[in-house]
Amino acid sequence: MLPYLLLAPALFVVGAFFLVPLAFSVGGAFEGPQGPTLANLANAASLYRMDLLFTLLIVVASTALTGLGAVAIGGYLTLGRSKLALRLLGAMYRWPLFIPFIVAAQAMRGFIGQNGLMNNTLVWIGLMPQEWAQSFLDWRGIVITFVWKQLPFATLLVAGAMAALDRSGIEAAQNLGANRLRILIGIVIPQVARNIMVALVLSFVTMMSVLSVPMMISGQSPTMLTVAMAWRINSFGDYGTANALGLVSCVMTGLVAWVWLRQAAAERAR
Amino acid sequence: MDRRTFLAATAALAATPALAQQRVTLNVLTAGDQNMVDYITDYLGPMFQRQNPGVTVRSLGTGPGDAGSQRIWERLEAQRRANTNSVDVDVAVVHQTMAGRMVAEGLLARYRDQAATGQLATSDVTRNALGQNVDGFVLPMFNSQIALAYNPARVANPPRSFAELENWVKQNPRRFGYNGIRGGMSGVGFVFGWAYAFGPDQKRLIEGPFDAEAVSALTPAFQRLREFNRNVVITPGNAGTLDAMNRGEIDMGPVWMDMFYSWQAEGRLNPAYRLVLPESGMPGQPMYYVIPARAANSDVARRFIELATSPPVQAEGIVRRFNWLPGIDAQHVRQHLDQQTWDRLFRDVGPDQLARGARPMPQADFMRALQEAYERVVLN
Repeated sequence: MLPYLLLAPALFVVGAFFLVPLAFSVGGAFEGPQGPTLANLANAASLYRMDLLFTLLIVVASTALTGLGAVAIGGYLTLGRSKLALRLLGAMYRWPLFIPFIVAAQAMRGFIGQNGLMNNTLVWIGLMPQEWAQSFLDWRGIVITFVWKQLPFATLLVAGAMAALDRSGIEAAQNLGANRLRILIGIVIPQVARNIMVALVLSFVTMMSVLSVPMMISGQSPTMLTVAMAWRINSFGDYGTANALGLVSCVMTGLVAWVWLRQAAAERAR
Repeated sequence: MDRRTFLAATAALAATPALAQQRVTLNVLTAGDQNMVDYITDYLGPMFQRQNPGVTVRSLGTGPGDAGSQRIWERLEAQRRANTNSVDVDVAVVHQTMAGRMVAEGLLARYRDQAATGQLATSDVTRNALGQNVDGFVLPMFNSQIALAYNPARVANPPRSFAELENWVKQNPRRFGYNGIRGGMSGVGFVFGWAYAFGPDQKRLIEGPFDAEAVSALTPAFQRLREFNRNVVITPGNAGTLDAMNRGEIDMGPVWMDMFYSWQAEGRLNPAYRLVLPESGMPGQPMYYVIPARAANSDVARRFIELATSPPVQAEGIVRRFNWLPGIDAQHVRQHLDQQTWDRLFRDVGPDQLARGARPMPQADFMRALQEAYERVVLN
């Protein structure tokens, strides 16, 4: 009995603050003024299919780049030789972890705009003529901000797992003359693949739910589903279509989680 | 005095009607951009507090565009559904669409006839908000107008009509910017201006009655806007358009005139920039002071609105400090303003140009339908 009593508060919190609102939200996607309807989903599909595609592309691209960056940084922290570079990289890569998304977005606006710090610096040191300066405050800005913000999180998981590896395999490969890239791809990555997957799934889900970055970086269309949801609620009070968009987001993240869980279960079975 | 005596004395004081009456917190909720909140927080609120000792004005901004008014409506509606005896909003400043809806749903108190300043505002918007009769329920805080801001150093001859603008954008790709329809009303207003210019029946859109056919008839105009959008920059908001001009990223864009003049007065915008109002017309709108039905402090709320709509405050606060067009009739305000301030208000867009180019927003149902049509045709 005691274990259940101890569990009860946690179950209550999950139930009351997550499962019930989720159920209302999913139910709301099928509710209309005249009872159950598919009109909300149809509305979402007809008005926001480009936004849906755009969201998927942005988040998949950002997740892939985050994964590449995390493996590169983690790999260097594991296999690098320059002590100074290792210490600098080790100290620096976590910084963006402590910066909220909205602050990151605000900082990026000043950095990657047409006349932002990045272009102005490049022009100032003579690497680029003024006419080449272009604004990155569009989908590219969103991807840059997402990757910048999620990279430390993914790296933390990946580099931690890499550091915990038994180094005898790496040293054996080194003794046999394998170069570091070969060791990274052939020996390190296969052993931390599960950790990489966890980092990528969690990053995917986090980025799917960010509203501030697309709102601040790019007012352009198409935009991400979060912006469309906020717009339906704030401007029209249309919770039905917003819920339908939320349902689509849940299905997208659910699919990713399902693929990951299946793979994890398969690995455990082995 | 021991602690018990002190507590008893405090309780007795609190029960005294005169003193209890003095300790009032007046909750003022404001939709709109930050300058609206600044106006209450920095100017009107402190003035009212000085004149009414014991009253604390607590102002809260609910966000730009109709979304801000929507949040106020949600708050009132939630309290109505909960059957509360009184609501915690005493004065609200809302857009036209929501004022109309709130009146239709019985959420507002009819207060204008009791207000000492009620007869100073006689314009059409005092009685009619986008097709909904709001007579008696609202007093305009100010009127504002959308116009095209441009950089004269890069645009020698600004376009005088939407067709000229279309040509200009073709010749100068990505030098015009606006904030789409999801980032504040200056972008939404620009889209309505486009629909007025290239749609078949401007009068119908403004006066109603609503008809889905009339929205379908706008499809060619929106397809034209879709082409137009290929060569423009979409900015993140009303302020975002001015920011983009400031950074030299665009040379022209639709802005609220008051925001434009205020930014120039505060040194936040290049003083050389100018405004032009295309002749086919762009919309403007008032913001309304309203008092919710069952407001906890409705008498104090009415006094607050009387102060806000009094000619000296309209002259000093609305026109001189915040560069809005007055909410009450201009003749009551003019005597409180010097010639220089009056001229500054009409520096770029004169009264005759305003008379020719200022339009109301579309009738409420058209307003929503046009935004959805934009999403359907222009964004997809």
